[in-house]
Amino acid sequence: MANSTTAKVKVDPRDAKLSMAHFFVAFSALALGGLMGLLQTLVRSGKWELPWGIDYYQILTVHGVLMGLVLTTFFIMGFQYAAVSRTTGGHSNAARRTGWIGFWIMLVGTLMAATMVLLKEASVLYTFYAPLKAHWIFYLGLTFVIVGSWIDGAAQIMTYAKWRKNNPGQPSPLLSFMAVINTVMWIIATLGVAATVLFQLLPWSLGLVDTVDVLVSRTLFWYFGHPLVYFWLLPAYMCWYAIIPKIIGGKIFSDSLARLSFILFLLFSIPVGFHHQLTEPGIDPAWKFLQVILTFMVIIPSLMTAFSLFATFERYGRSKGATGLFGWFKVLPWGDARFTVPFIGMASFIPAGAGGIINASNQMDQVVHNTIWVTGHFHLTAATSVVLTFFGISYWLVPHLTGRKLTKAMNKLGIIQAWVWFIGMAFMSGAMHFQGLLGGPRRSAFSTYGGSKQAAEWIPYQIAQAVGGTILFIGIILVIIIFINLAFFAPKGEEEFPVAVAENLEEKAPMVFENWKLWLGIAAALILFAYTIPFIDIIQNAPPGSKGFQTWSKW
Amino acid sequence: MAKAELKTNQKTEIENSSSLKGTLASVFLLGAFIVVTWVSVYYLFVERF
Ligand code: HEM
Ligand SMILES: [Cu+2]
Repeated sequence: MANSTTAKVKVDPRDAKLSMAHFFVAFSALALGGLMGLLQTLVRSGKWELPWGIDYYQILTVHGVLMGLVLTTFFIMGFQYAAVSRTTGGHSNAARRTGWIGFWIMLVGTLMAATMVLLKEASVLYTFYAPLKAHWIFYLGLTFVIVGSWIDGAAQIMTYAKWRKNNPGQPSPLLSFMAVINTVMWIIATLGVAATVLFQLLPWSLGLVDTVDVLVSRTLFWYFGHPLVYFWLLPAYMCWYAIIPKIIGGKIFSDSLARLSFILFLLFSIPVGFHHQLTEPGIDPAWKFLQVILTFMVIIPSLMTAFSLFATFERYGRSKGATGLFGWFKVLPWGDARFTVPFIGMASFIPAGAGGIINASNQMDQVVHNTIWVTGHFHLTAATSVVLTFFGISYWLVPHLTGRKLTKAMNKLGIIQAWVWFIGMAFMSGAMHFQGLLGGPRRSAFSTYGGSKQAAEWIPYQIAQAVGGTILFIGIILVIIIFINLAFFAPKGEEEFPVAVAENLEEKAPMVFENWKLWLGIAAALILFAYTIPFIDIIQNAPPGSKGFQTWSKW
Repeated sequence: MAKAELKTNQKTEIENSSSLKGTLASVFLLGAFIVVTWVSVYYLFVERF
């Protein structure tokens, strides 16, 4: 039946609707969050102040929550939902209904939390560290977002499970496999943040208990916080491994290598949260050391990814007749936004990853901890590598879902957008890195710190950040224009959802990769190994709990 | 296309098209970059602490 083959290559229109719903939320968050980002850099330059009693930490909370939590989670869930639909032949009605329920719960939770931030009841930044205390509705909203994301993710898992049942003994489609790995990692990770919100922060903000154990809540937060950044990254890797090869006209270097690297991410992304708490007292250094070792294990799949991507590009280039050591680089399709935009993201991951290794090196963390270097670092990882890849994905996925076409003009604008972003980020993130090495703190409005000589050295870098922030904001305007065009105005047509195949089709991925009992078992064992003893120690030797603080100005 | 390939069908050509030496060079450059940045910050650490 012709119908069933087209149904396979196209995302079912009913699934498309749900994906698009996610993207509308994601891009609204981007627009608003981007404006906040611009304002932050302007405030920090010292040349401008926020009007109407709005305070810096309020907009910083809006920016962090919208960019770090809302944009990412909604985009990722929408993309993975579409990728599973495309590669398994579509979601069932039950899975689709599940997805919609999850979406709405997440959206309601987001609105609850956002309202409290706007009312100045929750300027606690996106990490909502205790003992900063927000209104209970903020925490309840977060709970909704988390629970909603579980339900949303369950839709992908249901469809994957159904596919496995209908195709016994077959390795699942690569993109579906990757989406499910990421969703499973997300569910395991969010258990930690759900625990601190439900059992500590909610009762405390409701006044049911007076004090909170700060270290326990921060430890639970970072049990979630590190896998959070891999939750952002893995969808970008899905694009790099399994979509980009098709766009350039090449093949996936190795399907099995791709699956193995995703499994390694699942195993090693979670038992490593202490690397965000290296300077924190109250955690035994031996356990910090262990988690640092586990952190360094993540370098393995990262370098596997780098190797595999270089190899895909080189093999494609050589098949086009490129010669010499780097001749293949020139023949890549630089005029295609679907390739070039994510490529700039990939290239940015080189300095981003190098910075990450520095952050995780226990002693060297003392040089950069809580400085604006860290902010510079994750604006390369999340705000460049990840978001540029997301932009590149949306340039074909949005028209695919809305039945439109990416026109030549929009393709060109997409490439310009990515370069604008790259240049803006080079200024902003570069200046943040250097200012951080000179000791400039993160999460700080403009201050001369009582006329300190050291703080005066930072000001030129802060001005460079404002220049970068302004360029980046132009990038935000451009991407919003493209998104609106592709969603509503681009000419009707069919845009391909590219899915690459592996070079060696005979090599069937080993079924052991789909053995969830095995991988979940190892993941659980690693988590228990890395956390049980130090966590008991943290609880048993806890100092008295802290009452809540509200350090920000109220309306 | 195919014809042109046939004409230059030498042993080196075949080897070249499956060669991954550019990939090897790239990962070495990547590794070197990581080491250089790491050592620079390590130097700052030793200076300061
Ligand atoms: C127009 C583009 C952007 C600009 C100008 C910008 C600017 C900034 C600045 C200046 C800060 C830190 C200020 C401080 O520590 O005091 C910041 C923090 C942050 N940004 Fe961005 N940013 C942009 C885009 C993004 C994107 C796309 C993401 C994520 C995908 C993102 C995620 C974050 C997060 C999570 C924080 C941390 C907030 C906190 O420390 O609580 N930003 N941004
Ligand atoms: Cu981390």
